[in-house]
Amino acid sequence: MTKSIKIALAGNPNVGKTTLLNHAAKTHLKIGNWSGVTVEKKEGFLTYKGYDLHFVDLPGIYTLEPISEDEWIACRFLKEEKPDIIVNIIETSSAERDLLLTTELLEFGKPMVIALNMSDEARKHGIEVDHEHATKLLDIPVIKTNGKKGEGVSDLLDAIIDSVKSQRLPKVPQYNREVEQALLSITKTSQQEKLDKHTLLERLADNTMGNGEKSDLESYFNKNISGIIKNERYAFAHGFYSDTFRKKKFTAKDLTDKIDKIVLHPVLGIFIFLSVMFLLFKISFDFSTPFMNWTEGFINDFLSPLSQSLLSNVGAGNWLSQFFSQAIIGGVGFVITFLPLVAMIFFLLSLLEMSGYMPRIAFIMDRFMHKLGLHGKGMIPLLLGFGCNVPAVMATRTLDNKRDKLLVMTMIPFMSCPARLVVFSFFAFLFFDHPAFIIFGLYLLGIVVGLLTAFVLRKTAYKGQLSHFVMELPPYRTPRMRTVLQITWAQVKSFLHRAGTVIFAASIVVWLLLNIPTNRQNPSESAAAYIGKMITPVLKPIGIKDWRISTSLIPAFLAREIVLSSMGTIYSADEPPQHKDFHFIPALEHQVIGLGEATKSSVLSLFTPDVETFQTDEGSHSLRTVIRSSFTTASALSFMIFLLLYNSCMATVAVMAREGGKKFALLFLAYSFFIAWITAFIVYHIGGLF
Amino acid sequence: MKFFSGYHLKRAPNRIETKVFAIPIDHETTLNDLKIAQTACIINFYNENEAIKKVEAMGLRCGENVVILQKLGRGIVVKTNNSRIVLTTDVAENVRVK
Repeated sequence: MTKSIKIALAGNPNVGKTTLLNHAAKTHLKIGNWSGVTVEKKEGFLTYKGYDLHFVDLPGIYTLEPISEDEWIACRFLKEEKPDIIVNIIETSSAERDLLLTTELLEFGKPMVIALNMSDEARKHGIEVDHEHATKLLDIPVIKTNGKKGEGVSDLLDAIIDSVKSQRLPKVPQYNREVEQALLSITKTSQQEKLDKHTLLERLADNTMGNGEKSDLESYFNKNISGIIKNERYAFAHGFYSDTFRKKKFTAKDLTDKIDKIVLHPVLGIFIFLSVMFLLFKISFDFSTPFMNWTEGFINDFLSPLSQSLLSNVGAGNWLSQFFSQAIIGGVGFVITFLPLVAMIFFLLSLLEMSGYMPRIAFIMDRFMHKLGLHGKGMIPLLLGFGCNVPAVMATRTLDNKRDKLLVMTMIPFMSCPARLVVFSFFAFLFFDHPAFIIFGLYLLGIVVGLLTAFVLRKTAYKGQLSHFVMELPPYRTPRMRTVLQITWAQVKSFLHRAGTVIFAASIVVWLLLNIPTNRQNPSESAAAYIGKMITPVLKPIGIKDWRISTSLIPAFLAREIVLSSMGTIYSADEPPQHKDFHFIPALEHQVIGLGEATKSSVLSLFTPDVETFQTDEGSHSLRTVIRSSFTTASALSFMIFLLLYNSCMATVAVMAREGGKKFALLFLAYSFFIAWITAFIVYHIGGLF
Repeated sequence: MKFFSGYHLKRAPNRIETKVFAIPIDHETTLNDLKIAQTACIINFYNENEAIKKVEAMGLRCGENVVILQKLGRGIVVKTNNSRIVLTTDVAENVRVK
């Protein structure tokens, strides 16, 4: 029978805990080069040498005195959930800082292993570690690891198993005589079970145990008790550091400092930030557009006729053929077309997150943000919102103050995620001569509405002084392409999973509603039309007068892309079935040639200074033409604005309810509907004048 | 083992490794008053609030040398050992340096 071991991975923020876990347990958890990537417990499982290893990756903490919510999660787990062993991960080049937490963890007197991570970076800084001596001093295994390459991971796993098997306990830190005597004295007065040193120190500090030992120590040292304990811990950490770490004379200028001279410059920094954002936008669109066009052709000109031909060969009924062309090709296939764009956005955002630039943006933008009463650190969740609003809302846990957290949460849903981008790119392409500018404008509008919302709330509901801003800037690191591709692949899989589950299910429901009652003459007599017509009066003032659009908007609350799959399904129902002659080999050859041309166009687009996106010939696909007939330019713009500002999706509402409370989430939902409707109304009526 | 009895906070006078054209100061002041590229040693803290506890845990400790890398609005970037820390002026004014 295998034995289970619960392992807590604890350490300072951004020391590579999740990277090590990804190597050890073959997980693909999100990583990044900034403090606060992990804001909740993450788990990984591995069976190794007959043991079931259950890893719990904790949010990074500097000390066991938590302030922000993510820090509370880590501390609560370590103190209350009793893991079998603690793996303390230390960034070798910043070990002296990290050893404060190590000291506190040693006080628990539990089996423990230290992983000296990023040993390669430490060597570059001229830092050497006598890990054998460190092992001897603490009586626990001290292992050198390199999270990037996975070096030392098997040694770490062996050490974990050996330590648990032999119940090897660390040498608990000994502090000065007076503190030790006070702890001994309060232990004697305790009627409870044997308490670990960390708990005893906490009881001594809050005066819940003993008979005046706290005040005796304070008067003896002429210092408050937390200061006395803190000094002892720092002294221990420094002593251990001096005994085991050696620094060579090192005078070379750090590359990070060189880059920061430019990136953090008051003027150049802003210019670089705007350039990075522009490039992110340009590369995402220009590189992915040829592939999107190819994917659309592949689905409509290859997969669709291929499946129709197979279905007719096996003698499938007309309804199955219709279901396939309307719900699957028209609905799910329509959304899949945008997969290259989604993949590219996530690829570039991952590069940005792993480079170490993200926290620099927070620093540069704080001078503007704080004038609006906002926190610079809030920039990180906002930037993450461009990837997906759900993890962005979770990332607000790193903010120290509840008020700041709620403020940033009210801004995040206005940051346009790739799901909305998919819809924007479709409509902008269909209705505007310069679609890239329209999309860029929509992104800006989202940011402006988010800032205004926070500004107004700051002056009304969330009044108060702006809290301090303390944050670490990591060194710049070259992202590993393999890791970036793994993260991108995880996001692509999630998009495909959504397409295969929620979007597929929504397409089926919409298709069924379109075909009920069965004796209907045309789709406008269906149940779907009935539902759409019911809500059309609410949407009519913003230019949405067609029941087909109103119906598409309802399931879009599950995920924004569903608006397209639903439209695809509904509008396909109006289309007469097309029967083309299909010859497999020539069609396949055509697709392969098309893919080659798409790749060539994508690569060439990177060398042009402008955003070239959507310069392709206007789509001749009939579905696009039919959808186009339902909108005017003004109503298309108003529709996009409504989708932009009305709360992003159900998952975002759910996570907002969890993080900020149900009342908060529902109030925000109502507010976002109101602001979306009003803005769309104004734009529609002003746009109608031109 | 000798470190168990406590080293306390005796430090080498200068532990900054990276040369950022550091300009030392010769009088007591706060971190807030240092200019870009000036270096100083942390003497103590005027306050013991949460923010100070956090910056201490992040590496800004008594006896450590710091150098100012950048100042922008209310934000200050300081470097100590291999850590770069951003803190706002309301926190920096509680850090006494020499």
